[in-house]
Amino acid sequence: MIQLSKLRKEFGDLIAVNDLDLMIPQGEIYGLIGPNGAGKTTSIRMTCGLLAPTQGCVRVNDVDVLGEPERAQQYIGYLSDFFSVYEDLKVWEYLDYFARAYKMSQPEIAQRIEEVIAQVGLEVKRDTLIHGLSRGMKQRLGIARAIIHQPKVLLLDEPASGLDPKARLELRELLRSMRDQGATILISSHILTELEGFCTSIGIMEKGRLVRTGRIEEVTAEETPTRIVRLRWVGDSAESVRRILAERLELSNISLDGNGGSFHFVGSDDLLAQVLATLVSANVRVTSFGEIKQTVEDLYMKLSQHEVM
Amino acid sequence: MLLFWSNPEFVRHRRAELRRGRAFTVAAVVLVLCVLIGLAAWASAANELEMAQIRSARFGRPTQAQLFEMQQRLPSEALQLFYRSLMYTQAGILAFWSLFSCAQAVSGERERKTWDFQRTTRLRPADLMLGKLLGEPVLAYFIVLCCLPIAAISGLAAKIGLLHVLSAYLLIVSSALFIGLAGLWLSSLFESRSRGVGLIGTAGLFAFLALSFNFRVSELPGLAGFSPLAGLPQLVEPSGSATALPTLFGAQIPWLLMSLLLYMAFGAWIALMLGRNLKKDYEEMRPLSRWQAVGCAAFLNFLLYALFHPHPWSPPDSHSFTTFIVIMNGLIILAVGVATLAPHERLRIWWCKRGAHEATLLSEDGPPWPWLVLSAVVAYALLIWGLFAWRRVLGFETSSLSGGAIQMAAVLIFVTRDVLFLQWCRLTRLRAPLIKGALYLCLYYIASLVFTFVFSVRSEWDGRIVYSLLTPAGALDGRSYGVHFPVGVFGGMSLQLIVVGVLVTLIIRRLKRPPLTAAVVGD
Repeated sequence: MIQLSKLRKEFGDLIAVNDLDLMIPQGEIYGLIGPNGAGKTTSIRMTCGLLAPTQGCVRVNDVDVLGEPERAQQYIGYLSDFFSVYEDLKVWEYLDYFARAYKMSQPEIAQRIEEVIAQVGLEVKRDTLIHGLSRGMKQRLGIARAIIHQPKVLLLDEPASGLDPKARLELRELLRSMRDQGATILISSHILTELEGFCTSIGIMEKGRLVRTGRIEEVTAEETPTRIVRLRWVGDSAESVRRILAERLELSNISLDGNGGSFHFVGSDDLLAQVLATLVSANVRVTSFGEIKQTVEDLYMKLSQHEVM
Repeated sequence: MLLFWSNPEFVRHRRAELRRGRAFTVAAVVLVLCVLIGLAAWASAANELEMAQIRSARFGRPTQAQLFEMQQRLPSEALQLFYRSLMYTQAGILAFWSLFSCAQAVSGERERKTWDFQRTTRLRPADLMLGKLLGEPVLAYFIVLCCLPIAAISGLAAKIGLLHVLSAYLLIVSSALFIGLAGLWLSSLFESRSRGVGLIGTAGLFAFLALSFNFRVSELPGLAGFSPLAGLPQLVEPSGSATALPTLFGAQIPWLLMSLLLYMAFGAWIALMLGRNLKKDYEEMRPLSRWQAVGCAAFLNFLLYALFHPHPWSPPDSHSFTTFIVIMNGLIILAVGVATLAPHERLRIWWCKRGAHEATLLSEDGPPWPWLVLSAVVAYALLIWGLFAWRRVLGFETSSLSGGAIQMAAVLIFVTRDVLFLQWCRLTRLRAPLIKGALYLCLYYIASLVFTFVFSVRSEWDGRIVYSLLTPAGALDGRSYGVHFPVGVFGGMSLQLIVVGVLVTLIIRRLKRPPLTAAVVGD
């Protein structure tokens, strides 16, 4: 669980994060999105104790990060966007170093290293010097480092930069499996497709403030009460379709073209099912009928004012 | 298992730098070098004997009996030379390597972007400090370890004595640890942008430690103990060195003890600074807390009186001693000021709290100047004590106390001005504000010097007036006694008080400016 209360950070006379309140329950994958300069990285750095807030409080797993940094660190795994690794160590030595640094017990270190190496797919590179690894492999090693001590909270700042598409998919799977094991994940990114179908909640940050936060379905429902439905059919039923749709008050913006079209709909799923049933009963041979889901990108474009100073 | 052996940071360095192949190669190279040094030592001793034989053949001196004795002593002489060479080589390697590797330890990690990951581990600052201190120069320690049996055997064979051999190693290792700690501290003060300045500082520190050997002929001979070169000759030569011993409160103590005392005392302060700051963000680093800074000023003053050793044939009088102490305190108070500069955001918070009567002038995040005043008061109190303690040598004159008070006030005002200027620089958007501020101050003092020379051309009096107005030198030139200082000195103090007032106003104006409610940094 991550809890940020009235978190504020000033750099000189600039406010980077402005009284941020955020609560991420256990098991959530929370996507923090926003333009460059919105305060995402500063927020994450304060959450993992790298930066002392000007004021406010950060609690991770009910431990005050500022008050008990050492205790808090055992629950936190952190990965930043641009990072480096110790090139003169072997892969296993690098992970062993961090396992020791997180004060894991000696007997569990060896087993955990093998587990983590397997999780990030670096088995064949176990005894290779890091110097000889590719950029993507180093990124995987960074992820392995972040999870070596089985943290309850993962803070990832642009974690997928440098990963190839396959590795990105693997990263998603890895994070999902960590969530299933009860980990809470805060992930920041400005590549919105990275977060699609993966985050359970999102927060949109601008000018140091959270302009919107919540579970994706809730935010979507709040922001887009009007749902867009697309349909297709076969045969010469365009006029029937237009007539049926036009008769229904809950529909608007009806746009038909040949054997397909779309309309805006406000109402419950039951009402939507009735629309489909009416079309079918009027002998319209419907081949597809479905709602166009709002992507995170659509939401962001809708909610964000794209303001930086 | 020793504490450091399982330290993760030490283990990392050991693994990276002492892989089997490299360790064998280094050991082999060390062995070869030892053999070469041994051959050179033998050749040198044999050459000396040969020269003596030639002189004996030509001039009859030394006599045959003396020559025979020299021949008998040849192996022992060669062994002594070999031992000395090995010990000095090890001391040099360890000191140089420790300083330059530790001086890049933290700044290097910051530059490579690996530092944040160390900071987010559960390693305490003490763990990081120990690991880096012994880990960064691990190869140099390995070289010394390879040399140790050879040096120890040759030392014992040369009849140096086990205690002397052990003491020499104690001095070499303790000096390397202290130098490494100082390097580590320097390294923590610099980030990638100012790493060049850090390296210059490292070179300066190395030069100071090497040249501090020359303090042994000053009135603070104990400071020579910073250099291992002060104590090592005594320990590596069988008859000991003829260098005069340092004093502590007038009592002579061995150089080894003096060096260990200095290393431990200053090492403890450096360790305290590192412990406070090593895991903090660069912008939030403050070497010491306010009270610790005052304590450090008191410690340094105390050390001055403890190490003071007047020349027996020309001891200073109480006036010149007072002036010397005040000058030293100028530097000490400046250091306190720099150590107590408040970061912008902390000062702003203090300002807001002060408005709500939740903070005072002496709060930890407040302005530095009250602490400078406090340090000066402590220094002056210790001056009274010091003059009293050394009254038999210096003579206790009340005019020294009154003159010292005015000198201390002058120094305090000028230093406060400089520190407030640096604080103001820190509130601006200057990049590397402290370095730039210090450079501006250097420019100011150079300009003051030029003005003084220009006005001195007209008359010496005019020159004195100018430097009294612009610098604290007027109060410290040793020409005034008691309270009878030239008007220029009081004029200078008044003028600088006005400048201090202006700087305080500028700082308050900066603090009153509302912050911009937008972010452009951090991502």
